[in-house]
Amino acid sequence: MAKKYEKPVILKVQTGMMNKFGSSPYYTRKVRTEIDGVAINELVEKFGSPLFVFSETALRQKYRAYYNSFSTRYPNVAFGWSYKTNYLPAVCSILHQEGAIAEVVSEMEYDKARSIGIPGDKIIFNGPYKNLSALEKAVKEGAMINIDHFDEIYDLEKVADKLKKKIKVGMRVNMDTGIYPQWSRFGLNLDSGQAMDAVKRMVSKGKLVLNGLHCHIGTFILEPNAYAVEIEKMIKFGYEVEEKFKMKIEYYDIGGGFPSKSKLKGTYQEPDVMIPSVDEYAESISTSLFRNLRGGDLPKLYLETGRAIVDEAGYLITSIIASKRLPDGRKSYIADAGVNLLYTSFWYKYNIEIDRQVDGTNEPAIINGPLCMNIDVIEEGRLLPPMEKGTRLILSPVGAYNVTQWMQFIEFRPNVVLIGTNKEVDIIREAEDLSDITRREKLPERLKLNLNSP
Amino acid sequence: MNRLSKLAVNSEGFIFDPTTGDSYTVNPTGLFIINSLRDGKEIDQIAEELSKEFEDTPEEISKDISEFVSHLYTYNLY
Amino acid sequence: MNELKIAVSGINAVDNPGPGVGIARALKEDPDLNVKIIGLAYDAMEPGIYMDWVVDKTFILSYPSSGKDALLERLAYIKKSYGLDYIIPNLDSELPLYTKYTKEIEALGVEVFVPTENQYKLRAKDKLVQVAEKINIDIPKTAVVNSPDELIKAVDKIGLPVMVKGAYYKAERAYTTQEAISHFHKISAEWGFPIILQEVVKGEELNVVGVGDGEGNMIGKLGIKKMWITSLGKIWTGVTIKNELMLNAADNFVKEYKWKGPFELECIVDKNKIYLIEINPRFPAWSYFATGCGINLPANMVKKSFGLPFEENQDYEAGKLYVRYTYETITDMKTFQNVITKGEN
Repeated sequence: MAKKYEKPVILKVQTGMMNKFGSSPYYTRKVRTEIDGVAINELVEKFGSPLFVFSETALRQKYRAYYNSFSTRYPNVAFGWSYKTNYLPAVCSILHQEGAIAEVVSEMEYDKARSIGIPGDKIIFNGPYKNLSALEKAVKEGAMINIDHFDEIYDLEKVADKLKKKIKVGMRVNMDTGIYPQWSRFGLNLDSGQAMDAVKRMVSKGKLVLNGLHCHIGTFILEPNAYAVEIEKMIKFGYEVEEKFKMKIEYYDIGGGFPSKSKLKGTYQEPDVMIPSVDEYAESISTSLFRNLRGGDLPKLYLETGRAIVDEAGYLITSIIASKRLPDGRKSYIADAGVNLLYTSFWYKYNIEIDRQVDGTNEPAIINGPLCMNIDVIEEGRLLPPMEKGTRLILSPVGAYNVTQWMQFIEFRPNVVLIGTNKEVDIIREAEDLSDITRREKLPERLKLNLNSP
Repeated sequence: MNRLSKLAVNSEGFIFDPTTGDSYTVNPTGLFIINSLRDGKEIDQIAEELSKEFEDTPEEISKDISEFVSHLYTYNLY
Repeated sequence: MNELKIAVSGINAVDNPGPGVGIARALKEDPDLNVKIIGLAYDAMEPGIYMDWVVDKTFILSYPSSGKDALLERLAYIKKSYGLDYIIPNLDSELPLYTKYTKEIEALGVEVFVPTENQYKLRAKDKLVQVAEKINIDIPKTAVVNSPDELIKAVDKIGLPVMVKGAYYKAERAYTTQEAISHFHKISAEWGFPIILQEVVKGEELNVVGVGDGEGNMIGKLGIKKMWITSLGKIWTGVTIKNELMLNAADNFVKEYKWKGPFELECIVDKNKIYLIEINPRFPAWSYFATGCGINLPANMVKKSFGLPFEENQDYEAGKLYVRYTYETITDMKTFQNVITKGEN
């Protein structure tokens, strides 16, 4: 009986790296032949490679886990789907079906939410740039507007004058919650008195009525207690405002920033160990609410979860198109997806799964994308088995931010598909072709090439 | 070639280079190639014998061998 | 007594030694226990692998950074192929896994005796102030800072020189504010936030090793002073002491927090004041010192876990000396080869 062939590999035994499981078949060699019961092969044959794949099941389950964890602890809670994380209409619609309202941070996102069919009063409008016409539209349609800076107060007062009505507004505040970096560029600062000055201004003009407070303390927050601090400070401030100015704070929007099970570069432990559970966040947040709210007062709690809901529902299938041996001995694989599609690869180390069982010894390898640029590296160093051309890798979690921050640079953006709860597969964004790029381009008549002319 | 002949190679794929004190590990196909090189065989011949000795050898076997040899070269073994 | 197969990690008895070899030796020397020692190593060059008079069998583990599944799978393999009744994890990088997944490990039929997740969080240096207050021990003036601005304010209050510390790892002394800021950036880049600033207290370093039973009782403890340390700050010569303030603080620590498992308190004594500097949620590398003084902490911990009788919180004599020394062993390459190619020996 002949032995099974594997690609020949030699590895030097190096001081400080003499760990067999450095080259274990185990943790770096995960095989994934399907997503939600649909074969990787089938997906690629039908829809091409690279391919973004979203799982409707995972999306709904994650949302429900979050919703249940919070709603069983605090009775008046709602989620705003953070559009910037992923604003593909299919993804948004699933979350809206589940009960989330929309949270947008630009006029483009606002219009997108409206085009999907979300009414203005189910939109939270955040962000540092809302122009006058966007504000006017949002006010008319009854959106919840969270003011970011003084200039927006002036703009909204102009809108109030124009529409001849008082406008209910929320205000974004920022503060020290022990999290670094402190996100102090958005909203008005609580600790320095700036936020209170803004309320005084609104009261003195009498055109805006503050009815909500908003805050977003950062991203990938691993310390549940930071939210408890955030809530305590917001509620203290809220009661101060209520007492001084006879207003009622009807909602507290505590933003998002909850992590997904992704491995932040530079962290040592696996996400399983690092990342607190939903319940730990919900417990910390609800405990702080009940500790700081007065008896009988149950203002609405809004959460703007993005990454935590969608990240793990997204996969990218990419194919190995070539490999080579670098002069330093490392193996280099070239894949058909690079940083053009995976903007988050600058910060996160993805889980890499292979579409088939590959025999042979793991060796240090890097994965480069197709861009003709030195920075196009989606994996800077991992132990991988010797893979043949055509092998497919499944990278995850990639559901958050990539399909909004991706770039069209020398390549087209690929198909994005959704696997439904009954395993039906639908394209939710078609692969681009040259016409998408040239459609908006104009070539002045005098520059048109006529290569036949002398 | 001269370097290869001096290596202490055991049947489990552990290689010790007495000249430098370095150790290496190779998988069974790598071991087969090293032993063949030590016997003075050429790549084409090794490819042929390798595909007889192992199951499911791919078409690009010569590419695999030459890449392996270039790896030996980066380690200064060939 | 049935044979117990006990795994210990940290068998890297090098110039910055792990605690494993000392613990293995303590277990072997206990007259009541009948143990086989499994050394858990992360590198083929960990000396414990080659000390066959202390370590009976070695397995290489994948690094803790490869996560829960890799660990559980490996432990299941060890249990099946050789047998495994108990694990004493001894390295800082392992403890997050063992404290978070205690239940999963026990489900494999393997006992562990480690702090709970909440107890484990107490070691964070930004928690030291509250711990010190509760167990009645002083602490150097401390500030938790998240930005250079906060650092400057804190330095004004604490004064110079000042210690700049990461929440879990790394400590640097700064003589100027500028230097403190530069340490702040370096440590935060590597270990994250917050950064802890601490007054530099002068005095001698005293330590206590102990094991709590998880119900508020002390299984045993030993107080020492380091008389001579290496250039890496590791003990080379030490002496047992009985500093009431420190030993009472250790008792309070176990009682107040119902601490489960081994721990080390690092303290600095300045005349009548004693300051808590650090809590380590594991055995220190010099734990064999206690065994040598008649208090076999690792063995008693194992006995506690299996409900075997032992004498709780035994007394010891002050003035016993600890002397570390170097020693060589010569072996052929077979063990090394096995560990490299098979991952066990």
